[in-house]
Amino acid sequence: MDELSMILTRLLLGIGHLAIIIVVAPLLQGFIKKSKAFWQMRQGPPLLQPYRDLRKLMQKEELVSEHASWVFLLAPRIALAATLMAGLVIPTAWGWAPLSGWGDLFLFGASLGLVRLFMTLSGLEGAGTFGGMGSSRELFLGLLTEPALVLGLIVLAFMTDTTSLQGITIGLQSISPLYIPRILVLIALGMVSIAEMGRIPIDNPDTHLELTMIHEGMLIEYSGPSLALLNFAEQVKQLLLLVLLAQIIWPSGLISSSDGLLGMFWALGFAGVKVVVLGFFFATVESLFVKRRLFRAPHFLATSTACAILALISLWIIRGQI
Amino acid sequence: MVNKESKVVRQLFMSLSIVLAGVGLIWGTILTSRGGEWIKTGFQFFTEAGSGLTLTWKLDGLTVFFLFILLLGQGFSSLYAIGYLKEYEEKKKSLWPFYTNWFLFLGSMFGVLLADDGFSFLLTWEMMSLFSFFLVLYEHEQPQNRKSAYIYLVMTHVGTVFLTTATLFLYAKTGSFAFEAWAVAAPTLTAIQLNLVFLAFFIGLGTKAGFVPFHIWLPYAHSASPSPVSSLMSGVMVKVALYLFLRLVWLTLGTGPVWWGWLFLLVGALSATVGILSASVQSDLKKLLAFSTIENVGILGMALGSAFLARSWNHYIAMDLALLAFFWHTLQHMLFKSLLFMGAGNIIQVTHTRNMERLGGLLKRMPKTGFAALIGIIGITALPPLGGFWGELMLFQSLWANTAHLANGWSKVFLPLFIGVLALVGGLSMATFVKWFGISFLGQARSQVAERAKEVHPVQYIAPLLVSGLAVLTVLWPSATLALIDLPLSVLRIGEGVGIASTLGKPLNLSSIYLILLILLTVIVVFLSNRGVRRVTATWNCGGPLTPRMQYTAGGLTNPIRVLFTKVLGSHRHVEGDFAGTKYTLRSLRYEGKIKEVFEDILYRPVIHGVLWVASKILKLQAGSIQLYLGYLLVTVVVVLILGR
Repeated sequence: MDELSMILTRLLLGIGHLAIIIVVAPLLQGFIKKSKAFWQMRQGPPLLQPYRDLRKLMQKEELVSEHASWVFLLAPRIALAATLMAGLVIPTAWGWAPLSGWGDLFLFGASLGLVRLFMTLSGLEGAGTFGGMGSSRELFLGLLTEPALVLGLIVLAFMTDTTSLQGITIGLQSISPLYIPRILVLIALGMVSIAEMGRIPIDNPDTHLELTMIHEGMLIEYSGPSLALLNFAEQVKQLLLLVLLAQIIWPSGLISSSDGLLGMFWALGFAGVKVVVLGFFFATVESLFVKRRLFRAPHFLATSTACAILALISLWIIRGQI
Repeated sequence: MVNKESKVVRQLFMSLSIVLAGVGLIWGTILTSRGGEWIKTGFQFFTEAGSGLTLTWKLDGLTVFFLFILLLGQGFSSLYAIGYLKEYEEKKKSLWPFYTNWFLFLGSMFGVLLADDGFSFLLTWEMMSLFSFFLVLYEHEQPQNRKSAYIYLVMTHVGTVFLTTATLFLYAKTGSFAFEAWAVAAPTLTAIQLNLVFLAFFIGLGTKAGFVPFHIWLPYAHSASPSPVSSLMSGVMVKVALYLFLRLVWLTLGTGPVWWGWLFLLVGALSATVGILSASVQSDLKKLLAFSTIENVGILGMALGSAFLARSWNHYIAMDLALLAFFWHTLQHMLFKSLLFMGAGNIIQVTHTRNMERLGGLLKRMPKTGFAALIGIIGITALPPLGGFWGELMLFQSLWANTAHLANGWSKVFLPLFIGVLALVGGLSMATFVKWFGISFLGQARSQVAERAKEVHPVQYIAPLLVSGLAVLTVLWPSATLALIDLPLSVLRIGEGVGIASTLGKPLNLSSIYLILLILLTVIVVFLSNRGVRRVTATWNCGGPLTPRMQYTAGGLTNPIRVLFTKVLGSHRHVEGDFAGTKYTLRSLRYEGKIKEVFEDILYRPVIHGVLWVASKILKLQAGSIQLYLGYLLVTVVVVLILGR
């Protein structure tokens, strides 16, 4: 009976975890758009516009290419589900993740990999050039981001002696925020996040000019509910990356048994502030830089990988182990 | 059209093969699950009194695991072959050579797995090489297949030379062929002798396994053979070579110096990267799969490397994890690679082309083959929820644990880099298999043959579907697979290990939880988003008509990779435009792209040229003049007289 109630609690907490992610993700998108508008001296769309867009798309008619097969319709659904699976290993405001155990940091990257697989396949479904172009570029970027992401997370794992993201968050509390390896990892993961979120200088989320787009290229054949799911999956992914970064920069307000309901809300608010600051930061970065050519992307991501390796070396040097 | 008698023969033989595999699997399951003493050693067969020659055989946990792999591969490939071989009957090609070599090949692999002494090992090993060579040569009408088989024969014998040398050396040292005697004598060898024996085994077995740079035969042989044979060679035969690393090096030569582990890791990483890079730029359905086999063998080699390192550093949890990763990945790769080869076989049989640039849109025409192939690519690209990922997870974790355990040294920097290499390989393999599946199955048909494609004979899609079902089952019920893996682990561990359950801890069931949750979430999303009207329309193409040639090609899809890795791949590109005098009107365009076989050019060509050069010099001795030959005779007689004085 005791075990059953424990499982039920876990299940409820897990559903709550997902619910927060689902509810907040479009809001973050709205906020980033607003921040970009701020730098461009525009009014910008209202904060709640992403919700309205999603609702509108859900009600629209869906057009399916005559050349497409069932993979075309399956891909957005799997993409959203797999993004949410990635969300299950990311510790939220309280530093708790529903799926945790050793090795779950690899699960994060791999779940995003599953999204990428289906997205790139769906890009080839329409039998047009734009989808294929998007797929080709996305695959190219994917193979460059993956080593940087994994190496960056691995260094954190060495720092805290665990390969679970939840454990890493807890472990990082006792490490100084100005610890050099930690800063280097942060640079590495920040650069990876830019690439993964499809933002400038790697990709431009606002463009619909065929020759420059990557992520939007794969979506070009989608409309209606499927497009809504894909956009939503992208927003969730963005939120997850920012939460992960926020927890690495400053993990605090983590759950403990002594805190009451107030403590929980405090932690949630605090995490919200962290994510908002990060969102504003990335919006600023996007306003300051220009999109680079595709074949410049390897340099960008190689820098990120190099930062991760430097973080590793500096960690061992500081610990006096090499 | 099909001769009735030959149809019966075909079904009879392949059913026999399936039944044998099934009986073996059931018998093995009963035997190993019963517990108690089932390990058989010293089973002697063919003893020649006085010559000191005995063929001994042994059945232990390590052998049993690989027998399971072999029997599973045999069962599925035979089932598939029932349908696949029909084509040869229609072409009136005799199938007797196929049947004979099929059974002899399977039997000799059995022999290699059971062999317990150097002599029976070499004997069965050579048989395995020979019969697989005949199977590669089965479609000998095409000249390129003859070339492929020839390269295979040469390379495999180069490997055997090293194996024979090592075997004879150990025989000379111990006076016995038995592996046990070698294991006893191994600590008494000097360091140089031990290392030389190790290197000989490494090269000999690495050639068969397909380690870079001994891999050059693999893409030829695996793509030239009939698809059931490809799936057996790729899924099982290379694993037999890896089995021998464990039998001959791990169990016989012992731990050895630390650099053995590093060698495995380095060569493994090199094989994985080179294999998948070469695969990513292929547009031949089966050659791509063959190169991906090199990649996976590389990953298995890295797992072995991590295990060897952990063993020499006495870190048993990392060792257990690495071995777990090794066995898990062995099983998963066997499943997915045979699945994909069956898929490729179906496409080739229907369209008669292996060139992906002529395929497209096959998922609508061959839905069942396509479904199985989709499962296959998720598995082989090491993505959750399927098994490929969980093996890599254990390997990641083992490398991590190895690093964290080390007190100090630069190894703490180098080891994690292999994790980065694995991540890169994962990204590349995604590009490779999105191309393999996307270009052939999705989009629009690129040629007439692809447009006319029809689903194959039911047996030919039932076999891959069964394999994918089994692959899902291994993830859904991981404890069964882990129980199987426990058999070889208990042989390889030194003394008492901590046991799988405590090594893995909670993630033991994570794979099934993940799979179930993902499916659940997908179902919920499908259910919630199932609204609105759907209308089928044309693809948007800026208002112009859409032709199949507007799609991305196989070459184009991975072109960025080719450009980025130009140096490694030795790719070469030449574009020539005829602008008819002006700058703006293009009359014709000539494009030429080529991928060089870098290793063939750098390593093998000079050797081949050297041998040919020496041969041409020796040829002068044989000038064809009778006087000269008489002169040789005279010289010989004189020399013999002087020596025999």
